[in-house]
Amino acid sequence: MNALQTAATGMAAQDLHVQVISNNIANMATTGYKRQRAEFADLLYEHVRRIGTQSSDQGNILPVGIDLGSGVKTVGTPRIMTQGSLTQTGNAFDLAITGEGFFKIQLPDGTFSYTRDGSFMLDGTGRMVTPQGYVVQPTITVPQNATGFTVNQQGQVSVIPVGSTTPTTLGQLIITRFINQAGLLSTGDNLFQETPASGQPQDGLGGTNGAGTIQQASLEQSNVDSVTEISDLIAAQRAYEMNAKVVTAADQMLSALIALQR
Amino acid sequence: MDNAFLVSMSRQVALERQLDIVSNNIANLNTAGFKATSAVFSEYMASSARENDFAPADAPVHFVIDRTAYRNFSQGPVQQTGNPLDVAINGDAFLSVQTPAGERFTRAGTLQINAAGQLVTPEGAIVNGDNGPIIFQTTDRSISISADGRISVLEGLTNVESLRGKLRLVTFARPQQLQSEGSNLFSAPAGTAGQPATAAVSVIQGAVEGSNVNGVAEMTRMIEINRTYSMIANLMQTQSDPKNLDTLSALPS
Repeated sequence: MNALQTAATGMAAQDLHVQVISNNIANMATTGYKRQRAEFADLLYEHVRRIGTQSSDQGNILPVGIDLGSGVKTVGTPRIMTQGSLTQTGNAFDLAITGEGFFKIQLPDGTFSYTRDGSFMLDGTGRMVTPQGYVVQPTITVPQNATGFTVNQQGQVSVIPVGSTTPTTLGQLIITRFINQAGLLSTGDNLFQETPASGQPQDGLGGTNGAGTIQQASLEQSNVDSVTEISDLIAAQRAYEMNAKVVTAADQMLSALIALQR
Repeated sequence: MDNAFLVSMSRQVALERQLDIVSNNIANLNTAGFKATSAVFSEYMASSARENDFAPADAPVHFVIDRTAYRNFSQGPVQQTGNPLDVAINGDAFLSVQTPAGERFTRAGTLQINAAGQLVTPEGAIVNGDNGPIIFQTTDRSISISADGRISVLEGLTNVESLRGKLRLVTFARPQQLQSEGSNLFSAPAGTAGQPATAAVSVIQGAVEGSNVNGVAEMTRMIEINRTYSMIANLMQTQSDPKNLDTLSALPS
């Protein structure tokens, strides 16, 4: 009886579905988090009676056949890269991107990662860094005692140095775009890495070539929608229960079969 | 073995297969674009030796055979996702995708963009447009898909819409002849060429067509299969019970 195995694939898929949903719900308040969605597809079919085969020598064709499916598989858990809502924080070092693109971050090993989480701060030497201490690209060093830290929509960073009244430009933040954002590898800490699926990073400036613009003193919230997640959770749980019932039914049928033998 | 036993067995085998179909439907309760399958049974008359010339003719033996399993191609529920690359098809049509094995058809509209900028399915099959694959440029933003399947974007800084292609929507006169391939794909056997979809078919952006499996109906069908199976198992047991044979032999002669 294949039903046992088929139902088991269904239970495994719904188990994974709940896992994805629970991660989304757990990250509801994570800055710059993008929700994931489990996507499923049906498994191979056993063609017991193949459609279109001849049913007689007179050339009659079977209009329909018997296709026995063998369950479900998970094809992916892509991230849904829609815009999260912005909240005003009043902190000058909090940056949010409206539109497409990522901040470019250099990891300690010299490689680059990308993030939508713009809750930056300054380290001991005045460099702009992420909460983990990774340097935002290009390196922007804020001089001591400078005031009036400003980031404009294109990403130009300027401050008013001590003893001056005119702002000086410190540099221009890079906004990186990918042709396939869903193909980025999530490495935790709100960071993403380039993969062969994401395509080459396209470094650019805010507001140019399709990149989004930067909003200072704001943070992008996660794009998790609680109503969607909870209704998905209910659907996944019910589907899991139904698959479990199929296992029970197949089991009862097998035991009825075994009872025949005395 | 007597005929009653064999007839019961034919039903058991058919029921097992029906449960396989029901379990596949339930396993795909959350699969985008999945279409439920139902089994059809028919009575199969055995052409065994029998004598019809006696006054009360021998009754022919009727077996059960599962003749076909057909797909229910009705519309599944359309779920809003807000993802610009999700499309749900409203009407009798399929998206055409190119796999290494040839052209395939799907109702699962959870699309992605690959590293080359092409519109693909989650398994990497390229979505066919009316004029070849739909390819996005690196500077494209704000993808919008119109009801007739036209895909347009805003290029770079401009606010001018440029067309990137039109989804190839295919209708089949007899969708029952489509062969399930797994991975949400159907293949069209030779001689069942699809036609371009009519204007009545529309594409909904930001939504996905869910599975059209009806959980309640499948559960009741499963209970029914389960009960019938046990009932027939009981029947077989009664038939083979030696006590019945004893009763028969104890009949006064």
